[in-house]
Amino acid sequence: MNWFYQRLPEWAQPVAEYILEVGLKYTLIIASISVVISVVVGVLLGTLMTINFAPLRAAIRLYIEVWRGLPIIVTIFLLYFALPTLADELHLGLISEVADPLRASILGLGLWGSAQIAEATRGAVQSIPREQHEAAAALGFGWLGAHANVILPQAWRRLIPPLVGLSVGVIQNSTLASILGVPEVLEAANQQTNALAVPTVDPTTLEITGGDSHALEIYLGIFVLFFLISFPLTRLAAYLERRLAV
Amino acid sequence: MNVLAAFDWQYIWDHRGVLFDGLVVTLKLAAIGIAGAFFVGLLLGAARAYRIPVISQVAGVYVELIRNTPILVQIFLIAYGLPKASEFFQFDFFTVACIALVVWGGAFNTENFRAGFEAVPFRYREAAYALGFGPIKTFLNISLPIGGRIALPSSINTYVSVFKNTALMVAISVEELTNVAKQSIDLDFRTWEMISVLAVTYLTLVWTMSALIRLLERRLAIPEER
Repeated sequence: MNWFYQRLPEWAQPVAEYILEVGLKYTLIIASISVVISVVVGVLLGTLMTINFAPLRAAIRLYIEVWRGLPIIVTIFLLYFALPTLADELHLGLISEVADPLRASILGLGLWGSAQIAEATRGAVQSIPREQHEAAAALGFGWLGAHANVILPQAWRRLIPPLVGLSVGVIQNSTLASILGVPEVLEAANQQTNALAVPTVDPTTLEITGGDSHALEIYLGIFVLFFLISFPLTRLAAYLERRLAV
Repeated sequence: MNVLAAFDWQYIWDHRGVLFDGLVVTLKLAAIGIAGAFFVGLLLGAARAYRIPVISQVAGVYVELIRNTPILVQIFLIAYGLPKASEFFQFDFFTVACIALVVWGGAFNTENFRAGFEAVPFRYREAAYALGFGPIKTFLNISLPIGGRIALPSSINTYVSVFKNTALMVAISVEELTNVAKQSIDLDFRTWEMISVLAVTYLTLVWTMSALIRLLERRLAIPEER
């Protein structure tokens, strides 16, 4: 990456290095773990939702509508501020640890993402014709075996485009972690503009230097950075949607 | 369950004034954002669908730029970046919030309306031309009522998102509902009370809007062609 930093003006070199090496790392950590949680929980709930058992369906429906309906930042606040008080009451040490800004953000995005994926999975599983279920049953598969070996591998095709779309959404919404102070790309940029805005005084000559936040260049920089990550993914999602259309 | 036992209804009641003020700001932001997104989407969506030169290409770039970047980054760019470019962009943060919501919602709505207008069968417009309607009259009498109806469900989805995005203005300290609740959490640590108020308020409004989509979808469905 050195060839890149060297082409920047002097003030921008440490800024770019911090945003790309600390900020981008956190953004990718948040986004990747949230996507994994979303897929695991979402596919499970979405598949369970196709079982014809009203209370279970209603419970999953409620889960989906709540986490899709709340602004994600409210979900993150819920996990960060409110959940630990409840966990302390119930002596659940494990949950009180969620009160870490990073974990609360990841989990908040995971709840939102899993609601999206659950809805997509439900649609995908229901789109598989009845005969496939019957054929699986005829081969001696139980519910679990039929879904793992016959239904989900076929439903998967329909799940790929929404999954790529979700990844874009999660990457973009990972910026919400900045509100709790996690140093992902946006918060890294905030920290750098704030630091640059403080002028430095030379102790011997009393000469004041700096004091320019460079906010325009820095925020435009991360705007471009997010665009470069998202744009290929949204193109890919659109392409896959056409390509995998059934 | 101590949390439930300790749940202080009185605390919420005592804060009804600030919470209500916060809700009013949230609704104001949402109303401005939704109205702006409607007009931007309508105009640019039409420009995209009918390939009006220059405007169509510019709108295309605008849509891709906004849809592929986080709204929070857009908010910071407008709030702190643009004023460095020119004094002209020096706004108070309520205005910044409105601009960000309109710009964001407008981009998504441009796509909704473009798809809606493009779904209007060409023969309908052909019929209008045959009856002697000019391009403007054809748009107002044929494309807008039909295409607008096709675009309605997806554009309401965008409005719901615009409403939910007002909560992000906590990042630039606009005194909307989420921010008001967070401030009182920071002061008094009555977290469950305030988070419950937030959750109930947002869910009520979002669910009402989603129910409205389903209702409208049924009411405004274009009758099947036979």
